[in-house]
Amino acid sequence: MLPKAEIAHWLAASVALLLGLILLAEVIVGPEVFGRRRWRAYLWPFVALVGGLGLWVVAIFSTFSTMHLVAHAIWAESAMIAGAVQLAVVRGKLTSPRWSLVTAAALFISGAAFLVHEQNSWLFSRSAFLHHTIGWSLVVASLFPLGAALRPRRAVWSTGFALTFVMLAVMLYSDRDAAPIFGHFEGIVSRR
Amino acid sequence: MKRALALGAAVAVALTLPAVAAAHATIVQAIPATQSKIESPPRQILLRFNESVTGSSRAIQVFASDGTVLSGTTRFTEGGRVVVAAVSRLARGSAYTVRWQVTGQDGHSPAGVYTFGIGVKAPPPTEAVGASGTTWKDDAARWGLFAALALVIGPLLFRLVILRGAVPPALEHRFHLLTTVAAFSVINVGIAAFVIRASNALQLPFGDLIYGDLQPFADKTRAGEAFLVMTVGFATIAGLLLLAWVFDRFDLRWPALLLAIVLVSGLSLSSHQATEPNSSKLSELADWLHLVAACVWVGGVVTLAFCVWPLAPELRRKAFLGFSQIAVVLVGVMVLAGAYLALARLPELSDLWQTHYGQLLLVKSGIVVLALSWGGFHHTFVRPRLEAGEQPNVRPSLVGESLAALAVLLAAAVLTNGAPPPVKPSSGPTVAPLRDSR
Repeated sequence: MLPKAEIAHWLAASVALLLGLILLAEVIVGPEVFGRRRWRAYLWPFVALVGGLGLWVVAIFSTFSTMHLVAHAIWAESAMIAGAVQLAVVRGKLTSPRWSLVTAAALFISGAAFLVHEQNSWLFSRSAFLHHTIGWSLVVASLFPLGAALRPRRAVWSTGFALTFVMLAVMLYSDRDAAPIFGHFEGIVSRR
Repeated sequence: MKRALALGAAVAVALTLPAVAAAHATIVQAIPATQSKIESPPRQILLRFNESVTGSSRAIQVFASDGTVLSGTTRFTEGGRVVVAAVSRLARGSAYTVRWQVTGQDGHSPAGVYTFGIGVKAPPPTEAVGASGTTWKDDAARWGLFAALALVIGPLLFRLVILRGAVPPALEHRFHLLTTVAAFSVINVGIAAFVIRASNALQLPFGDLIYGDLQPFADKTRAGEAFLVMTVGFATIAGLLLLAWVFDRFDLRWPALLLAIVLVSGLSLSSHQATEPNSSKLSELADWLHLVAACVWVGGVVTLAFCVWPLAPELRRKAFLGFSQIAVVLVGVMVLAGAYLALARLPELSDLWQTHYGQLLLVKSGIVVLALSWGGFHHTFVRPRLEAGEQPNVRPSLVGESLAALAVLLAAAVLTNGAPPPVKPSSGPTVAPLRDSR
């Protein structure tokens, strides 16, 4: 039995949205207020680690093509490793801000996997459009943790990082494969 | 600014609203079904896809076991969702191979292969007409898988049983790093091994292999099922090991070790010892014990040489003597289980030198004797000196034994991928008459 691709996309979108909202909450209230409850700092890395584990389940349902199996495996492994390293940072086992480079690498590799696994051009279909958009978004978003590794105290990095996941959630919720690229907007445009 | 925000929100809403949707082009129904056993010859092969597809007049080809093409021109019906090819001269008592390739709406060209039998059980897709059989790539991947398994199980058991209690931080760190990297390696090498195995049957150029349909291999072979379970299982193990490291919860290593030992059975339940006509529950159990003992032994020797010896001189004696005790049991299990399995696969003594499988077994046995002699030398000459409180420099020798142990795994990988000579079914209930290789 093969679950519909949309179900996996929406589940992933929900996890991304949860991640984004947690990170956005920290940006809005500030790290001092957010850190008053110690467990809050563990939230997003833990969600990333568990989400990565869940992605392995999606990966084994993606044997309908080699490319999809490998791409899902890359996303799962990237999420697990980035989540675990960030958990270790929060826990105090790793102290250097340079460990953000692992998150940067995970985002970059995940973005590259999106771009490589989509072989069609941008406007071929909605999924092609979204895969290109997500891929390039993640590649560009890898600059945020990279910036956090080099200049840790700037709020722009954490804000950009949080918004990346909110955007990712919107794009994954929209991932409907061969649907019209711009959804109901296309009907409006064609009527005019 | 407000207008820009409103426009962005509108685009987001428009994108997420329901609209026509379809998945990647995949088969939702095949008649005859994948790996099915049917009673009478069909007149056509029908593949129903989840979206409309296109393709050439030879999008579906059906092959007899001698390679003869038995299919006619392919037709696309029901708006391209159904692909049909008429077939003729199919006979009861034979198995047939279906190869297909279409182009989906997204422009990708998925392709696949499957088998069905008329009055007989269909062979696995790995034995489809045109499949190449195993190559050196399969051997390399299997070797990597064995080595990664050994580096999960061996160090974990070493840390939990032989070196219980506190150890120097550097050694603890090495244990964490080694086992976690090895757990991820099991998954990654497992994926590579699975894809290589499927590619031998699909016989597609790389550009097409990336869209090759792996589902018949994942769902319809024992090795595929073992791959799926082991992938999720070792991801869980990796998660447990990462949490053990982050939170210093070393007790999480126990479920990781036990789960790894259980998951090794996936290889045994899909090996010759489970799929040959004379296989039995006992041969599956023997194979599992053989593999677990080998993993503990190889992983233990590597742990001793590359973790304990360089990083914890004060623990060398305890580690060496503790492992030495366990190694005697391990060698006993390996030799007994291995001998039983060799007898099951090669009932005639002459099979040892007259068959390719037997010759491989002889080579493997030679390397095992070398590695065990090396271990015996350590047991006989180094152990008494350590017990007497001396600090002999045996690290080079331990590294040598580690390399010999890894060579044993290579020989085991080649042997596992080899085809044993045909044997008669045992008196008990039998499995498939056709081999689900590995």
